[in-house]
Amino acid sequence: MVIQESLSIMEKLEILSDAAKYDVACTSSGVDRKGDGKGIGNSIHAGICHSFAGDGRCISLLKVLYTNECVFDCKYCVNRASNDVVRTSFTPEEISRLTIEFYRRNYIEGLFLSSGVKGSPDETMEEMIRAVELLREQYHFQGYIHMKAIPGASPELIERAGFLADRMSVNLELPTAEGLKRLAPNKSRRTILKPMKQIQVRQIENRQELALYRHAPSFVPAGQSTQMIIGATGESDYQIVSVAESLYKQFSLKRVFYSAFVAVNHDSELPMLPQGPPLLREHRLYQADWLLRFYGFQADELLSEKHPNFNLLLDPKCDWAVSHLEFFPVEINSADYRTLLRVPGIGEKSASRIIGARRYHSLDFPDLRKIGVVLKRALYFITCSGHMMYPTKLDEDYIIRNMLDPREKEHLPVHPSEITYRQLTLFDDMDAIQAGS
Amino acid sequence: MDFDKRILVCEDSLEGIFTGVYDGWKWKLRGKQVEISVREPEYPDFFTTIMTVPADTEKAGKVLRTISSRLGHAVYEALCYAAVSCCPDKGTLVFRVLWMALSGRKCDRRILENLADPDVNMVAKLRIKVWHELHRFYGFVRFREISGSVLFSEIAPENDILEMLGTHFTDRFPNENWMIYDSGRKKVLLHPRGQAPYIQKNAVIDRNAGNEPVQKEEYEELWKRFCYSVTIQERKNPHLQQQFLPLKFRSNMTEFE
Repeated sequence: MVIQESLSIMEKLEILSDAAKYDVACTSSGVDRKGDGKGIGNSIHAGICHSFAGDGRCISLLKVLYTNECVFDCKYCVNRASNDVVRTSFTPEEISRLTIEFYRRNYIEGLFLSSGVKGSPDETMEEMIRAVELLREQYHFQGYIHMKAIPGASPELIERAGFLADRMSVNLELPTAEGLKRLAPNKSRRTILKPMKQIQVRQIENRQELALYRHAPSFVPAGQSTQMIIGATGESDYQIVSVAESLYKQFSLKRVFYSAFVAVNHDSELPMLPQGPPLLREHRLYQADWLLRFYGFQADELLSEKHPNFNLLLDPKCDWAVSHLEFFPVEINSADYRTLLRVPGIGEKSASRIIGARRYHSLDFPDLRKIGVVLKRALYFITCSGHMMYPTKLDEDYIIRNMLDPREKEHLPVHPSEITYRQLTLFDDMDAIQAGS
Repeated sequence: MDFDKRILVCEDSLEGIFTGVYDGWKWKLRGKQVEISVREPEYPDFFTTIMTVPADTEKAGKVLRTISSRLGHAVYEALCYAAVSCCPDKGTLVFRVLWMALSGRKCDRRILENLADPDVNMVAKLRIKVWHELHRFYGFVRFREISGSVLFSEIAPENDILEMLGTHFTDRFPNENWMIYDSGRKKVLLHPRGQAPYIQKNAVIDRNAGNEPVQKEEYEELWKRFCYSVTIQERKNPHLQQQFLPLKFRSNMTEFE
């Protein structure tokens, strides 16, 4: 292991931000906090994106590792103990100074502090806490702080960190325990889920404290999140989505992030990805994640043992709708909110706008377009005052074929009578895609 | 039906628009058609009286208080956003929506839900546009330190959002001396440490003076390096980046210099 003592702050930042970039969570949302007038910073609930990196991901927080020295040897990680890379660490002073100077130029919304495991989990966690304490206590920094809990750190340290940070996260890393054992031999499900449970329980207690004493310190007010690597081990989308669902239900997580596997190490345990990271699959998982959190779907409605993976050509909601045609068509002027939400092309916003606007008068298709409904997808599934937009028919084959039509806007679908009942080639294409990936 | 139309020409500001609403209301009650414009119409029209309305803090305040108390905060906020937008018809739109919500002893607090109405729909669109731009600038404003530890930022927003940005940054940086310069409108918002911010109109930035704002410094270099190293090269996607961060914002952003 190469440890260099005399690196400049520029070199350290380059190494330690480069090493942190595979962590996907860069959100600064979930907490509203006014400035106290004494120090610097505030936080707004929606979060703020300050810039966008060349890969299109938002830059909101100064995302760095405290150190990339690591005793763990996780196969997928660039900082694993067996890799020969330059190792370095920040000091608490350097991190807090850098955060403040970036923050006052309005480059960032706050700090995202993760770390390799230097010495022991406890030692690492303590150093990270020192850096964050400096920010909160010396600089009176009220911006956003996201801290990683290092698996295996003691509960006392997690508790201390939780009162300093807005959000904490423990990475699940891989969706199954077997995958974890194979690729991250130093981590175990137990050391990951234990701090997660602790944070959840402490948060519930804290909510009661806050109800009693309004000014009690708040514990992880923006909730906790986690992330899974997608495509490094062989699990199906169904397994992944089910894991996410149970994390939301049993651990009340705020977010589960999915990170398409990027091959940074050559290892016999890892897959080769000649076409690059599985980005479309990651995208479909995020779409499904939204369906779980905001649209009232259950994991086993979307997928099943028999149908374990998402259709890469259709988004999960369309995919669900075309195979559940018994729920359609939905009448726009009378359906309730939850039913509207299940229509492809209608999102949270347009559903509530429909509910609001139809109090004034009944809606027709031009109104829906003004409201922001994506008619290209919705037109097969809805009626306005009993009429469909075009004479379409409720048939899976027919709808899929029209929806995959490359023309951008909604258009008059091919007339049902023109359809010849050829077997769809869609699933042949699907097989080709999956065989290739 | 009276065909006589009044066009009230107001100052292009929050105050100006709502002064226009105040005066326009009286004409509307007398059965005249009312339009509120921010500039003189190019083509004069028969049966139209053009009146210039000077901005009046008291009148605008009355209107704003009425909106806030009778129609609630959400409508108040939406109409304020619409009133600072760059749309030339904003005054008339705001006026018509208010008339729809308040005339004849009505008090429709949910007026903005009536999205099938073209005026309401347009106001709702303006609200989203201005809010969106404001929210983007919360993130995209870049300060650089100029002599005497003053933070300076230059922006060129489409809509007149400088005052609204002021509220956000005053809460965020109460103990810094900072200023934000709207180069399109030649306005500058000044915030002296620990005080309330204020606007100075017709401001010109003298780039040759001693407090030269373009000054290279260490943290700018660090930031540029960070933005580069945090990018995952395997996922490079300039199209997506441009979708979220259009080129027009980049001219005033440190990391794109």
